[in-house]
Amino acid sequence: MKKENSPTIRAYITVQIRGARPELFLQKCAGKGISIWDVKKIEEDCCQATIMFRDLGALRKIRRNSLYKVSFVDRKGFPFFLSRLCKKRFLIIGIFIGFLFFFVLSNLLWSVKITGVPKEIEEKIETELEAFGIHPGVWLFSLDTPKDIQRQLLNEVPELLWTGVNLQGTTLHLEAVEKTIVEELPPGEPRNLVATKKGIITNMYVSKGRAMVSVNDYVVPGKVLVSGNLNTEEGENNTDAEENPGKPIAAEAEVIANTWYEVHVSIPLRYQAEEITGEQKKKHYLRFGDVQLPFWGFKDPDFIYSQEERREQPIHFFKWELPISYVSKKISETEKIEEQRSKEEAIEAGIQQARTQLENELGPEAVILSEKILHEHTEHGKVELVLYLSVEENIVKEELITQGD
Amino acid sequence: MKKWQQRIRSLLMEQFSLPSDVVMEMPRITIIGHLHFYIENHQGLALYTNEELRLKVANGFVCIKGHSFVLKMMLPKEIMLEGTISEVLFLNHEGGKEE
Repeated sequence: MKKENSPTIRAYITVQIRGARPELFLQKCAGKGISIWDVKKIEEDCCQATIMFRDLGALRKIRRNSLYKVSFVDRKGFPFFLSRLCKKRFLIIGIFIGFLFFFVLSNLLWSVKITGVPKEIEEKIETELEAFGIHPGVWLFSLDTPKDIQRQLLNEVPELLWTGVNLQGTTLHLEAVEKTIVEELPPGEPRNLVATKKGIITNMYVSKGRAMVSVNDYVVPGKVLVSGNLNTEEGENNTDAEENPGKPIAAEAEVIANTWYEVHVSIPLRYQAEEITGEQKKKHYLRFGDVQLPFWGFKDPDFIYSQEERREQPIHFFKWELPISYVSKKISETEKIEEQRSKEEAIEAGIQQARTQLENELGPEAVILSEKILHEHTEHGKVELVLYLSVEENIVKEELITQGD
Repeated sequence: MKKWQQRIRSLLMEQFSLPSDVVMEMPRITIIGHLHFYIENHQGLALYTNEELRLKVANGFVCIKGHSFVLKMMLPKEIMLEGTISEVLFLNHEGGKEE
């Protein structure tokens, strides 16, 4: 027994047939191969039946040669549902726009919260972030990864010791720790200034305190350079009237000394380097679980050597993370360079290397005056160098004056 | 002539035990309790109301009586009726006969 249960996916219509003995009309239709179901007799001359929508043409053809009147009562099924939806186009557009709106809004960066630093550094960080293109109103998936932001920030804002970047929903939480210019000693406490390194003093700028050494003196670490004790010898009081006379003060000075370093470097004569040629290709994917659907950039570039950079950004809807994420891949062509250099070039590179090494060690305030090669020799395809560098730098360190009591 | 044909058919049916509805062009009727009435191989609908369904068959009519009838399905030679069936009558040329 074949039973055609009201198929919702297909369109079907309920019709009313009026006329004398409408069942005969239905019988005629059935004889023509139209499947009819749910026939009910409403009145003596009125019958209600349901037929498939595609049989409507055949039904009309039969009706044409008869006296029956056919009227439509109801239309059901998915296609009708669709067409009805189409009629309410503005509602649909509205819903769609609404969803789009939420979707867009939940993928925008709404605010950047910086905590842990004073106002001026916060402002500095903000301008830096602005320069990286991070400000309220940008797409979340155009943001760099938190690691990258951290690294860039640390590079660009020298005052920062550490940053923690954390994307929480549509807010970028940025926690920063300022490099405190190590002031373990409470300011204002009486102190001396002592040397940290051995060297020959070239310049002294004493703003507070009494100089214990003079220019061109040779000092060793620990030697008191500027004393905070003003009246050890004669008891004379200088300009510091507000300070209690006789009491030691906090010495303040900058003592520039000529110091020297011995640096050992070894430079290979052959070297390999990988260089990005500038040719690059971007590919964009949408990832659903394990499936990656490319939606932009389909062709594989024909690079021999390449570097791939992959970034993934989840897409959000409200606070939920959708199972879809946006993946962009940057493939950059690279070139392998293998070069041989002469001994002179190697030495040149070695000196450069030593300089940068020392500069990194001493900080930006130190100035490298000159360098001398003390010793060089070539072995196993490497040039070993011992360099002598003379540097001008501030060698001051603060030291509390311990008052015996 | 017709009588002769009829006799051949009966003979075939008895001797070769062929199903009677095929050989005799008779309707096959299935009734499930008083709920469903299913007929195959009828020859047209003669009358349909909420209380009665009359179908033309090989030699006469089948008349189903009851109430709240709904034709659940209508195909060229089949009809399925749903409702409360109280009686089924075979109206032959000779007259009514109850099953």
